[in-house]
Amino acid sequence: MTQIELRGVQKFFGAVQVIKDLNLKIADNEFIVLLGQSGCGKTTTLRAVAGLETIDEGDILIDGKPVQHLKAADRDIAMVFQSFSLYPHMSVYENIAFPLRATRKSKSEIDAEVRSVAKTLQISDLLAKKPSALSGGDMQRVAIGRALVRRPKAMLMDEPIGALDAKLREEMRAEIKRLHIKQGSTTIYVTHDQIEAMSLADRIVIMHEGVLQQVGTPDEVYSRPANLFVAQFVGSPVMNVADAAVAETTSSASVSVGGAASGFEFPRALLSKLNGHAGSELALGIRPEGVLIRRDAADGFLPVETQIVEPLGSFDIVDLKVGTKMLRARTKSGFVSGPGEKVFARIDPTQAHFFDKASGRSLEVRL
Amino acid sequence: MAAVRTSTEIGFNRAAVVAVLVVTIIFLAPIYWIASTAFKPRNLATTIPPTIVFQPEISPFVKLFTKRSQLRTPPTPEEYAAAPWWERVVFDGGEKIVRDGKGEVQWSGYPNRFMNSLIIAITSTVLAVGMGTFTAYGFSRFKVKGEADLLFFILSTRMLPPVVVAIPMFLMYRAVGLNDSHIGLIILYTAFNLSFSVWLMKGFMDEIPKEYEEAALVDGYTRMEAFFKIVLPEAATGIAATAVFCFITAWNEYAFALIMTNRRAQTAPPFIPSQVGSGLPDWTVIAAGTFLFLLPVAIFTFLLRNHLLRGMSFGAIRK
Repeated sequence: MTQIELRGVQKFFGAVQVIKDLNLKIADNEFIVLLGQSGCGKTTTLRAVAGLETIDEGDILIDGKPVQHLKAADRDIAMVFQSFSLYPHMSVYENIAFPLRATRKSKSEIDAEVRSVAKTLQISDLLAKKPSALSGGDMQRVAIGRALVRRPKAMLMDEPIGALDAKLREEMRAEIKRLHIKQGSTTIYVTHDQIEAMSLADRIVIMHEGVLQQVGTPDEVYSRPANLFVAQFVGSPVMNVADAAVAETTSSASVSVGGAASGFEFPRALLSKLNGHAGSELALGIRPEGVLIRRDAADGFLPVETQIVEPLGSFDIVDLKVGTKMLRARTKSGFVSGPGEKVFARIDPTQAHFFDKASGRSLEVRL
Repeated sequence: MAAVRTSTEIGFNRAAVVAVLVVTIIFLAPIYWIASTAFKPRNLATTIPPTIVFQPEISPFVKLFTKRSQLRTPPTPEEYAAAPWWERVVFDGGEKIVRDGKGEVQWSGYPNRFMNSLIIAITSTVLAVGMGTFTAYGFSRFKVKGEADLLFFILSTRMLPPVVVAIPMFLMYRAVGLNDSHIGLIILYTAFNLSFSVWLMKGFMDEIPKEYEEAALVDGYTRMEAFFKIVLPEAATGIAATAVFCFITAWNEYAFALIMTNRRAQTAPPFIPSQVGSGLPDWTVIAAGTFLFLLPVAIFTFLLRNHLLRGMSFGAIRK
């Protein structure tokens, strides 16, 4: 039963502020992913929770107790490093037993626990080996084993699978998830890979330049991004963002993109939901699957020309020229034969996001 | 084209092999000379041209460890028969071993000097490497105010040849009563080696990834425990290399040993040539002393060879 809370945490490296007033509550057993580009402060945040980095202001609470003045050793937290940091001069067994040796456990107890963890992670046959003899995936299993064996209050993982190749990364991702479900412990996981974040997290915390951007379930973050940064950071292929002008027509609203003469048709309700922002500078965000295309003309569809087609196997990504802007649409594979084809496109209003260009904030328009 | 290039390459390789052989011979020749002279009969030690093939003898080593005097009259057959084998080889060379009133064999000064060398070199090496390792760790892991200046200051102690300060050092040592003492030479050699040890160990410490200690800190260990359990084993290679260099410096030091010591704490280097002065020089004894003196460094280096050769990080960190 471990809750972790960050209250008004600030951290400076010299004159540079790497964490800006961070507030976050992590529930017991929750799997939290800190997501962001490199240098956004996510690793520093993790290291601050671990006790490897001091903070300049604020509180870090574990189970309600402030721990920011405690040494790493006294916080009862385990950490998996990106480099794995297995001690090269020790065997796998000794590596896993190492955290237990810091406690006053008897030899037989330690032995039993090392073997049980090794069994869980299916590395029992590797116990006698030296880390240098292991593959990347096995090193990572051992690193996780070393973290798990002490049954810490919380697990911290700093890009634990970032150093592995793509296929192995996918395998290990599933394994981490399986392990979390089975063992259950409060986990903070740092990554820059949004797919990893989406697939693992109970809640994702998106950070940018030391500032928390949004906290939410993978679904919330994906379908209701709080601002332009989150909108473009989460999701692959990336969400289309274009300057948009909203106009009133007789029966509906029209949103024109990239200075195109005619706009996409939107329900009239858009105007009221924009809540007075209709006149200000707006950005329209639409994910590629929200751009619908068909071959023949239909109501509300605008004629557009295809530019580039990227076949991705299960689907294609097609670049459409709308005004001066390119919109990327997701189609069935093979739907568009190639560049230069005339097709008809429309934007699914229920999947559209509107952002205030000046602040980048979402206007929370849901149609 | 390819064939031509290959033959040039072969030629180049052969030339390289020859060059290496020549250099090796040049380096090994003096060692061979000393080693062979240490086993020669006295009359063959100074022949011109040098004697290459000879019956090796142990007598130079017997003479090295004992006090001897010239035989005025040859030993009687009874005396000769009663003498142990090592005394006979001295008789054969026209000398006899000095014994005291009780008939106890009188030892030469060599074993004591050799022990002095061992005590002083080992202690100063342990001190220099130990302090150097801690200092280097501090500089490597913590923010130290004026780090660059301090490191430069440490290095600057090596910027003049130590002998330059020999006379002032001698006067200071005499004033505080450190001359001709083990502790005096140990302090001196530790001071020589410390800057070298700090700089070398700093390089090795910087190579050890911080994550190892951080992992240990999170795993529930104090920084001190992490240092001893994780950093030291990882730094073994660096410690071994540094220790070899410090040991060689302390072991071979001649000038200060000559000036600062004369009997009680004298080390082997100033003692070995001092034997030349007593009577006719017996080069075989000097060679035997030198030969034995070479062994500890050779053995020490040999024992640590794996550490010296092994790479620093062996794949447990993925970068």
